[in-house]
Amino acid sequence: MRDMVAACLRPIGELSFEFAGSGLEAIERLALSNYELVVLDLNMPDVGGIEVIEFIRSQDKLRTLPILVVTTRGDDASRTRVLEAGASGFLAKPFQPEQILAEVRGLLSNA
Amino acid sequence: MAETVDLREFVGGFIAESDQIVASATAGLLEIEQANVRGELRAKTVRDLFRALHTLKGLAGMMGIQPIVELAHAFENVVRAADQAGGRLTARAVELGLMTVRAIAERVRAVADNKPVAAAPEALIDELARVDSGASTTTAASGISTGWDRRLSASERQQVAVAVDAGRTLYTLTFTPSEQGAARGLSIATVRPAVAKLGEIIKVAPRAVPQSAEAPAGLLFDLLVISDATVAQLAEAIASTPDHVEPLVVSAAAQLPVLPAADEEVAPIGRSFVRVELARLDDLQEQLSALVVSRFRLERHIAKLAESGADVRALREIADVQGRQLRDLRRGILRARMVRVAEVLEPLSLLVRSLVKPGVKEVKLDIDVHDSELDKAVADRLLPALVHLVRNAIDHAIEPIVERERAGKPRAGKIRIACFEGAGNQLELSISDDGRGVDRHAIARRVGKPLEDDTALLDQLTTSGFSTRATATETSGRGLGMDIVKRITVRDLGGELSMITDVGAGTTFTLKVPLTIAIIDVFSFECAKHSFVVPVATIEEIFDLAECKRVEGPSERDRLPITLCERRGRPVPVVSLGTLLRLGQPASNATKALVVRRNGEPLGFTVDRMLGRHEVVVRPIEDVLGRGPGVAGATDLGDGKPTLLLDLVELGGGITSWREVLS
Amino acid sequence: MSSLHVTFRVGTAEYAINASDVLHLESFTEATHVPGAPAFVAGLVQVRGKLVPVVDLRTRFGLAPIERSLDNRVIVVKIGTRVAGLLVDSSREVVKLDESTFEPPPELLDSQASGYVKAVTTQAKRLLLVVDVPRLIGEEVLHA
Repeated sequence: MRDMVAACLRPIGELSFEFAGSGLEAIERLALSNYELVVLDLNMPDVGGIEVIEFIRSQDKLRTLPILVVTTRGDDASRTRVLEAGASGFLAKPFQPEQILAEVRGLLSNA
Repeated sequence: MAETVDLREFVGGFIAESDQIVASATAGLLEIEQANVRGELRAKTVRDLFRALHTLKGLAGMMGIQPIVELAHAFENVVRAADQAGGRLTARAVELGLMTVRAIAERVRAVADNKPVAAAPEALIDELARVDSGASTTTAASGISTGWDRRLSASERQQVAVAVDAGRTLYTLTFTPSEQGAARGLSIATVRPAVAKLGEIIKVAPRAVPQSAEAPAGLLFDLLVISDATVAQLAEAIASTPDHVEPLVVSAAAQLPVLPAADEEVAPIGRSFVRVELARLDDLQEQLSALVVSRFRLERHIAKLAESGADVRALREIADVQGRQLRDLRRGILRARMVRVAEVLEPLSLLVRSLVKPGVKEVKLDIDVHDSELDKAVADRLLPALVHLVRNAIDHAIEPIVERERAGKPRAGKIRIACFEGAGNQLELSISDDGRGVDRHAIARRVGKPLEDDTALLDQLTTSGFSTRATATETSGRGLGMDIVKRITVRDLGGELSMITDVGAGTTFTLKVPLTIAIIDVFSFECAKHSFVVPVATIEEIFDLAECKRVEGPSERDRLPITLCERRGRPVPVVSLGTLLRLGQPASNATKALVVRRNGEPLGFTVDRMLGRHEVVVRPIEDVLGRGPGVAGATDLGDGKPTLLLDLVELGGGITSWREVLS
Repeated sequence: MSSLHVTFRVGTAEYAINASDVLHLESFTEATHVPGAPAFVAGLVQVRGKLVPVVDLRTRFGLAPIERSLDNRVIVVKIGTRVAGLLVDSSREVVKLDESTFEPPPELLDSQASGYVKAVTTQAKRLLLVVDVPRLIGEEVLHA
């Protein structure tokens, strides 16, 4: 998954990636360093994706950080729940490389 | 008679330790008082306060000083109740606490002066027994305290119930993620498996908190753990101190929280080592400085005696012996602070292992540091800089195997760390790699200005904001984090950073750092538009001028005016710091007063406003031209400018000789 | 024999100092005032991690203070183990001076200027006053 996302985004140019192995790790890294965008898989060990989004939105410095959620559950209910929690974008698996590229481009240019 | 001598020696230790506990308890109470005003909680400070009182009670008990035992015990009960209820101490309890600590301090003084110790004031003891500590404001939920209740699922609750029935202990461990920790490989990803080895983790939950020195990332992780390990072991697993390990009460009636006893903190590791909190060594060092000062006074008086014709040979001999003993003592304390450089560098081996890619890029780390030693405080600050340098060397300097073989270099890259003790109490550490080197001309083209030598190149590389990823890859450079390396070496540690690089052959960085530094806890404040800092340990109290009754005392026309402020029923003499230091206009802007104790009496200094509290590295002012009375050194609060560290007690000595300069 | 000297201006006069006494030149914005330090000390600055006292040569030479400008420089000097800064109006060049042309200063100047000037020289039509650095940074304060 991680390598695939990286490969899909290569056309954007000079991007640097960091991968977190779990929700808790993601939260920790977000608190410690600065990022321009989060691509979040909802299905993670320990803390759930929704909890991570809620945490991000509860932090002042992270309030406007774009979050792109990637999940296998593409139904409307899931989408609503994720966007309500504060995600900025939503992509159901499986997706085409062009789709994620377009989403990320959009989110980065809005920021 | 031998017995008396022994007791006297012991008394010295008791007084020194009690004084320190009194000072820290006072500082803690004042901090809680301030926090109460802002509606904030200071649970950790309450816990520390509890420990301080507990220790003091034990000490006084050993010495058989009943009144101090009684006072400490009475207030300890109040604080314990508050601690168990979540750490809230009411304003009244704080007020009584300050009175108790004052009463204890007076009795310690009496012991020091070999005077009879007054009985504990009954009224105060009674009131302490009655005071509402604040415990009633938090009612522990039926289940587990500290808010876990709401965060647990049904199955997790079940786990807790089973463990408690089996008589096992539950702990909340609080792990504080930080940049420094992450640089050392400390993150929730490494801490969790470490804790899992010691017990069963029921839940890990992130907790967002306001950013502070205690929580630099504004984030804490609470780990709910069932474990039979000791508090010290658990604390080690989260790379923290026992106060971040909290045993939990499960049902309100079942049992009281078992607080780690003070001696648990000094857990023996191996037979011949004792782990000592760095702060205690700092205290020792501070006391040593006081000793050095009193020795100077002794010498002055001997010289005066000699001038008046007295025979001082015997005295001088004793003074000389004492001087040598002081030097030995100083060396001894310094040695106690030292850690082996080899030990400090251990995490780097792990780092290298995690960064190399077998078959693609291989690196051999060669550490050659002999038996060199370094102050623990310096080592802790230095390590992140070394991590940056090693990481950069692997990421950017050392070429992949294919490229190295093409260039006729050995397959595996080499990073060598060496050190030796240089002149002037400095340690010289060098980190060399045999990678690409930095192409000075390429960087010069990029920034559009000539870089005549490696020094100019390093200046450019360490300019903050220069480091872009593009630069790092494009020029096989060293952009990343070099500004941090420089900040740590030069600004934080007062050392030097240099670099020699050779395109195609490699780069060597040399860091010269002092073997030891003084780090102290200070308050910063503003007075007549100047900023200053003072050691927290010397401040007995900070109060609002607006909140107390004040009268201008009479004084001679050209002398420093004294204001009397009423504090807890007593008049405290207060002087304007700005006027005393001749900083310009009389300080009509003063809002606060800092109180120190001079010759046992309180003395206040007015300042315009308080700025904050920090841990800082203090640098001595080496040249006499930069010194002034009461100026104990200087520090950098981050603006690149020196901020003076004031010794208010010494300044207080200049009040009586102060005269207005008539223009 | 000739040796390198750093030249600088304070007021209308031009001074020279032996380059071997100079560690480096720094630009100057402000110094931290030290209460109780001698009046000619502008304060402390931090230079490469070290605390260095700065001697304001205008005050030292009895000149009225002027507004600071971008031309101001701190010449960091090292005399023995002591390191100090000299705040000057400007300092631009390093010149080679022929020491055989150095002459003792006129006696009256010497007595009025507490020995700050140890020699005068006229080279390339410029009058240069060669300063005595140890005196400038108050060696006499040390021995007082």
